[in-house]
Amino acid sequence: MTGYIVKRLISAVPVLLGISVIVFLIMAMIPGDPATAILGSYATPENVEKLNRDLGLDKPLVQRYFIWLGNMLQGDFGRSFSLNRAVLDEVLERFNATLLLAGTSFVICSILGVAAGVVSAARQYGLADKAITFAVLLGISIPSFFLGMMMILIFAVNLRWFPVSGMWPIYGARDLSALISHLTLPAIALAVVATGVIARLSRSAMLEVLRQDFIRTARAKGVHERSVIWRHGLRAAMVSIIPVLGIQAGFVLSGAVYIEMVFQWPGVGRMLVDAILKRDILLVQGGVVFVAACYVLFNIAVDVAQSLLDPRIKA
Amino acid sequence: MSFLRLLSRNRLALAGLIVMSVVVLLALLTPILPLPDPDVTNTAERFKKPFSERALLGTDHLGRDLASRLMWGTRLSLAVGFAAAVAAATIGAAIGVIAGFYGGRVDNVIMRGVDMLMGFPYILLALAIVAALGPGLLNALIAVAAVNIPFFARNIRGVTVGIAHKEFVDAARLCGMSNARIIITEVVPNVVPVIVIAMSTTIGWMILETAGLSFLGLGSQPPQADLGSMLGEARSALITNPHTSVVPGAMILVIVMAINLLGDGVRDALDPRLKSGALSRPMPTTMVRRTDPVPQPEGDGILSLRNLQTQFHVKDRIYKAVGGVDLSVRPGECLGIIGESGSGKSVTALSIMGLVASPPGVITGGAVHYKGEDLIGAPYETLRHLRGDRVAYIFQDPLATLHPLYTVGAQLIEAIQSHHRTSTSEARARAIELLKSVRIPNAEARVDNYPHEMSGGMRQRVGIAMALANDPEVIIADEPTTALDVTVQAQILALLDDLRRERGLAIIFITHDFGVVAQLCDRVAVMYAGRIVEEGPTDAILNAPAHPYTARLMACVPELGQGRRQLAAIPGLPPVVDKLPAGCAFADRCPKAASACRSGDIDLGPFGPARKIRCIDPEIPVQEATA
Ligand code: SF4
Repeated sequence: MTGYIVKRLISAVPVLLGISVIVFLIMAMIPGDPATAILGSYATPENVEKLNRDLGLDKPLVQRYFIWLGNMLQGDFGRSFSLNRAVLDEVLERFNATLLLAGTSFVICSILGVAAGVVSAARQYGLADKAITFAVLLGISIPSFFLGMMMILIFAVNLRWFPVSGMWPIYGARDLSALISHLTLPAIALAVVATGVIARLSRSAMLEVLRQDFIRTARAKGVHERSVIWRHGLRAAMVSIIPVLGIQAGFVLSGAVYIEMVFQWPGVGRMLVDAILKRDILLVQGGVVFVAACYVLFNIAVDVAQSLLDPRIKA
Repeated sequence: MSFLRLLSRNRLALAGLIVMSVVVLLALLTPILPLPDPDVTNTAERFKKPFSERALLGTDHLGRDLASRLMWGTRLSLAVGFAAAVAAATIGAAIGVIAGFYGGRVDNVIMRGVDMLMGFPYILLALAIVAALGPGLLNALIAVAAVNIPFFARNIRGVTVGIAHKEFVDAARLCGMSNARIIITEVVPNVVPVIVIAMSTTIGWMILETAGLSFLGLGSQPPQADLGSMLGEARSALITNPHTSVVPGAMILVIVMAINLLGDGVRDALDPRLKSGALSRPMPTTMVRRTDPVPQPEGDGILSLRNLQTQFHVKDRIYKAVGGVDLSVRPGECLGIIGESGSGKSVTALSIMGLVASPPGVITGGAVHYKGEDLIGAPYETLRHLRGDRVAYIFQDPLATLHPLYTVGAQLIEAIQSHHRTSTSEARARAIELLKSVRIPNAEARVDNYPHEMSGGMRQRVGIAMALANDPEVIIADEPTTALDVTVQAQILALLDDLRRERGLAIIFITHDFGVVAQLCDRVAVMYAGRIVEEGPTDAILNAPAHPYTARLMACVPELGQGRRQLAAIPGLPPVVDKLPAGCAFADRCPKAASACRSGDIDLGPFGPARKIRCIDPEIPVQEATA
């Protein structure tokens, strides 16, 4: 097992390098002079030149990439000019909030999505299946930002069950119950689309599995139908559901940006949007690379989980 | 076109199509509709409620007419989403075709890059691109198109790889056509339908994503507005004037939902598996729809089938897989059922415990009596208690029939615990004992193996051990030795024979191999086209087959015990069981067929003291029926 994890970690190195190259190239596409873009058109030529030197922009592209990469590996993501703060510090702080939101959503959508998919497949063409299929269709069609706004309107403004926005109360204790009440609405709003996608794919994975011969064997043994579905069926279907969960984790993580905007959640997505509007390139660059790298590592964890679940994958 | 027919049969997809057509039509007509200018501000008229005078949907925070802004916004959102989809599909398809067509290094490099992009959290990549290009609707469009390119590239590559190795492409190459021409004339036409399907499933996403970027303020810039930026601007007035948010939000929902419905419909209409109903999940027991009176138990068999009929209902067709089978087996007896594949022997075996996949299987008549109790139509719990406990199955291919993700021990323990309340450690001890009884060496260690870690012969022994787990009275073995080589086959047969003598098991043994029948079975029934054509003691039938089909079948087997898949050597094919001929089903392949054979149903009549036959012109005279 350890060998497998080490192998996967090593194989992640080229992926991480690739990501850094892609981000670097995208940022290098910036039309015109980045320093002017940052400082605005009223900047003095001296300032522009100084900034160019500070950013290393006077050097050739390849050299710039390696300098940038080397600095990052030493934990130096540069300085955000709009916040006047080290990029890494800001990103780490924001990422905590995003992780809390996206992680909660991920747990919700995984459990609900898989359960809905299994029930739907088990009752194929039944009432439950039709109801779930319709709910799923609604779920994957509704824009999460619109859903979030409607949830605020209903559950926060009208019913007053939850606070309207933010992560913590402005006054009052920053304790767990405060956090949970602030987290509930955004976490659900973020989870809805992914729940729909997971439910859909779980349903078809289950239908695929339930036709297999080993399901018939389980029935021939006299195993109760409940166990046939949840023990034999789901276990086998998980092999194809888990990669979907991995992909959806990426959607939840990056889709958090909309929810963070709607609910004023102090996460990395909102930071990125602000940074884009302020043309704070280093902050964008650092944030994107950091989140993408975390996602790569998360996917390794998914692969490891997969190999634990399926003994046929040789560790 | 059948595709349109299929689509129209799907009512939800049709609804999606209609809604989408209306929306698109309105969007196209927007410039000529008598609408107020969407961008004219009038602060005196701010936040008018919907259905107020001169503003059907009210006004927004700058007093602009919402209905007009909605129409123009919809037009813009649709255009941008559609443009993004077309751009992504075109570029992605081009990349995919090139990678798939040229293969090798080119393919490798391209697909590496594509995989890398797909490893990115999707929206993050779009944000990075917008960050580089700067906010703006065109840039948002480029970003959304760019992040969707890998999806198209990968899909199209897969299809192209399939096409690039087809004969017509090779032929075109031999004719000296250039690669570019081959791609355009041979590959592209085959790829286009795939592109259309992929687009129909992603265009909803793209509209959503561009709207999302506009919502974040990174897409369309004021005063121009698409649905996303309308929603974004309305956000600050969400609490005081929710209608300004609801109007554009609901519109996005309607559009995306209609597209998704339509996309699902297109996909379903084109998916061949859905057409054949192959994606149905089998129910816990086979469906039973008996109209005729249920036969009464008779005879001394522990398990007897009376006029059993099982059909497959696929769309409007009915396949009569089992067309009235009578069989009976006594304790300690082994009954063989032999026939070609498709003769209905396996379906007969599976019908006994309601294990025929349903849908499409339906048991339409007859009875299965276990100790006088009818199992067909018995409640699920009754069947479940008998399954594996009193009547157990051994299946053909143990690699497919054992659960791949549980150890054989866990599966044996489960078999025991499904019928007996025992502790897991006791059940485990019993599992090891069972593995020993089927002569698996080193059973204590083997119990923790997964099926894929065992050889075919060992796996089949596990299958037998599982059938024996609860000391059943009847074992139904469905071609249990077909996948095994001859030596292992002989061992397994010897094992089954011992077990039946030691424990007084009744065995129903399904096979297509006379050698196996000769080794193991006391009696044999020959099946053809869903019915029994000859039945009697094994020796008598093997020495002197009376039905022309049995005689041909035996002539095909070179040596007892060696026969493998020899049955196809009879000229002609078995009849398709959805259009059985009148009279004898074998008539088309029978050298002795006469007009009398085809005129009416032929009964399974007695033939000598112990045999039965369904033929009017047997191969041997009745006097020779006993051997
Ligand atoms: S009934 Fe006629 S056609 Fe059928 S097997 Fe006998 S001889 Fe041949």
